[in-house]
Amino acid sequence: MKGRVIGGVGLLLSDGDNVMTAIAELPAGASVPADNGAIELIEPVSFGHKVALESIHRGGDIRKYGEVIAEATQDITTGEWVHTHNAESRRGRGDLSPGRDR
Amino acid sequence: MMQFQGYKRSRGPAGVRNYVAVIPVSVATASIADTVAARSDHAVRSTPHQMGGDPPEKTREQIERTLIGVGRNPNVGASLLLSLGTETTDYNKIIDGIAAFDRPVEHISVHEAGGTAATIETAVDVAQQLVGGIAGCQREACDVSDLRFGVECGGSDATSGIAANPAVGASCDLLVEAGGTACFSETPEFIGAEHILAERCPDPAVRERLLSFVDARESAAELMGVDMRGAQPTPGNQEGGLTTIEEKSLGAIAKGGTTPVQDVVSYADELPTGAGLVIMDTPGYDVESVVGKVAGGAQVVAFTTGRGSTTGNPIVPVMKVTGNPTTARDMSSNMDVDVSDILDGESVASAGNRVYETLIRVASGQQTAAEQRRLEEFAINELMPNELAGEPA
Amino acid sequence: MSSLQEMDEQRPEDSTFEVFEPNASGVGLRRRLLVVPTVICSHIVADHIAAGVEGAVSIPHDHGCAQIGADHEQTERTLLNLSKNPNVSAVVVVGLGCEHLQSRPFAERVEAQGVPVRELSIQGVGGTDACETQGVELARSLVHHNRPEKVTGSLDDLTVGVISSDLNASTVQTGAPLVGRVVDRISASGGRVIVAGTERLVPHRSVVTDRVTDSAGEGWLLDRLDELSMYPGKSQSISTRAAGLSPDAVIGHWGSGPIQSVLEHGVPPEDPDGVHLMDSSSRFEEAATGLAAAGATVILHLTDEGITTGHPVVPVLKISASAKSLEAVGTDIDIDARKETPPGVLRRLIKIADGEPTAAETHGMTSFALSRVGPSM
Repeated sequence: MKGRVIGGVGLLLSDGDNVMTAIAELPAGASVPADNGAIELIEPVSFGHKVALESIHRGGDIRKYGEVIAEATQDITTGEWVHTHNAESRRGRGDLSPGRDR
Repeated sequence: MMQFQGYKRSRGPAGVRNYVAVIPVSVATASIADTVAARSDHAVRSTPHQMGGDPPEKTREQIERTLIGVGRNPNVGASLLLSLGTETTDYNKIIDGIAAFDRPVEHISVHEAGGTAATIETAVDVAQQLVGGIAGCQREACDVSDLRFGVECGGSDATSGIAANPAVGASCDLLVEAGGTACFSETPEFIGAEHILAERCPDPAVRERLLSFVDARESAAELMGVDMRGAQPTPGNQEGGLTTIEEKSLGAIAKGGTTPVQDVVSYADELPTGAGLVIMDTPGYDVESVVGKVAGGAQVVAFTTGRGSTTGNPIVPVMKVTGNPTTARDMSSNMDVDVSDILDGESVASAGNRVYETLIRVASGQQTAAEQRRLEEFAINELMPNELAGEPA
Repeated sequence: MSSLQEMDEQRPEDSTFEVFEPNASGVGLRRRLLVVPTVICSHIVADHIAAGVEGAVSIPHDHGCAQIGADHEQTERTLLNLSKNPNVSAVVVVGLGCEHLQSRPFAERVEAQGVPVRELSIQGVGGTDACETQGVELARSLVHHNRPEKVTGSLDDLTVGVISSDLNASTVQTGAPLVGRVVDRISASGGRVIVAGTERLVPHRSVVTDRVTDSAGEGWLLDRLDELSMYPGKSQSISTRAAGLSPDAVIGHWGSGPIQSVLEHGVPPEDPDGVHLMDSSSRFEEAATGLAAAGATVILHLTDEGITTGHPVVPVLKISASAKSLEAVGTDIDIDARKETPPGVLRRLIKIADGEPTAAETHGMTSFALSRVGPSM
């Protein structure tokens, strides 16, 4: 498949991604090898979900597949679960454009 | 594999099934169509839908184009059109459109037949005659380049973009290389990845069409004044790890493979044969999207799913492909190909070969899980009045 | 039924008849166990489940996913309110598992309305085979709610829905005035009436200001007409003909009394009686579904075009004044409006309330459609 498996637990789809996708149910404390030493998960991350490989500021880009997939809605720490609670889309945002009030 | 065992037709490419389609012109005859199919030979298939009998012009044109496409699908040997008799949807146009492909087409109108009970009785008889008329058609060796392979994703999760879609994409590449047509759609699921697809359009006109279709779909969210979440991505997508439409799209486009995008067509437009990779503009909505490709003439559909969608289609075999090991295990009775070994190191090319081999076997008669269970969902994408705003009221 | 044999020729509306013992939702004229798919992807499984249980019906629809905003909300609201129609004894909710309209929370909302309910999802139980088997078991565990105990009822127990799906000449001249007089008499007897079909008012805003007595409803409706005026109508012939007719002509079948409240699509009125207007297209399948969600237990369908289908939840009495349609599909029409009188229609309505099948219930074909207000995503 695209990308490479890291530590047997995660998938990095493209170098330059700042998140990794869990390919197992990962408990808090699980360790993932990274360029500057290991990253420790600060919380559990479910199969298929993402872990931050570096800290990301609020408003910052979240990158997967070598592309921007979301924007951080709050500061994110390395090893944190990344999903709808701290990341959102920049597309299809009809709520931000002047829509009809119905 | 360069051949499959198919049903040759006098016009258009070969089919992989040989059905009599019972086609209601509007919702007013949909339950009659279902009843006729239920009382008939298993080769009689109903294509029920909920379209009204007096729709706005553009909506009506899309309904007519879709129903003509259903009747012309290579898997349909003959059609029985059921009208109420008072719809504005033009059943003569539909009949002519199907007949132009040398397929037998009969028509019964409830008003001319003398009411509902009489229609059901007559329709069952006519369907039986049509079955007899196409029974002589036998499978023979056909070239895979006759195939128009539709690919779809539904109930997606993170494994879709990592495993199932790339595997199906590899099978599309194989078919394209062998001279066939592969078609993917679901335009809202290009949002965030459209620039990648755009770069794969050798023809600038095709590229422009693609980008304008994506723009139109994204504007639908603005039309409703809300963001797309819940619909794109769905709760199931999100539970499965997909956070945004961009992430979903980047995984979704993999299902079309890696070859250039040769053409972009509209919902239910006829798909070219032997044309390589083609995109059809459809909603992401699974059943409507599959029906668009079926109306375009796709004979087989591969449908990737992470969470476990179980839908099929009445006239086209739908193969379910999953890359999620839990789904492959827990819902094995509804899945056709398990490619979750990709997560353990199986190469995409190897999994793609397995999908392609299944495609050929299904084309040659092997029943999919959905076919065995008669899971045959059908719906037409309705162009809504507010989508058409700006047209004369 | 001895009570029916005593029906007064001139005042059948004073009769009593048999109705089902009321449930949490009210007085029902039929008893159906409803199998509700939350999304199109589970509707065939829902159909298979209903087919396996006597007294169960499914409501196959094409939506529940890929809808956003007000469109999604309307689908959910309509399905929820359908579940508490008085003709519905109990509900089995069937989901796929990944859809926007999630089945478990939906079932909880149904339960909160006092309706006996069970829920399952295809993905939750491991596939369609298991879902059909378990779905049938769950339905069988609830089917005792269909028990046939009956009590005495009268017209004031009914909520009658009224639809006219065309504005053909014979509808306007003959059918609508007949139905209008019937509506007046039902209302005078304490029965509740809900009329539906908004687009015909776009060129006739005076109807709203003259007839609607609820000022908030009036304001809402006028805004709604502003919105509808921007789009093509879902029933083209209604939209094109309404402008050329007088206000009274387009709403003759609504009776002569005031419109007590305006309802959003699929929402029941608060008052137990009076005449109410529900926002809907005039497409029969959408209006009937919306009226069933709004609590109608029987529907009068004025159809010169001779649409013959009934509805899975609510008995539909077909009324036509079209010589052509009566000739063509007369066996599927209950009332020939050219020949019938208001007492005649009321007599037929009461017999149907009492349990006699409508023409549509006799052939069994139905139409069901959720009304969309936005595009598929």
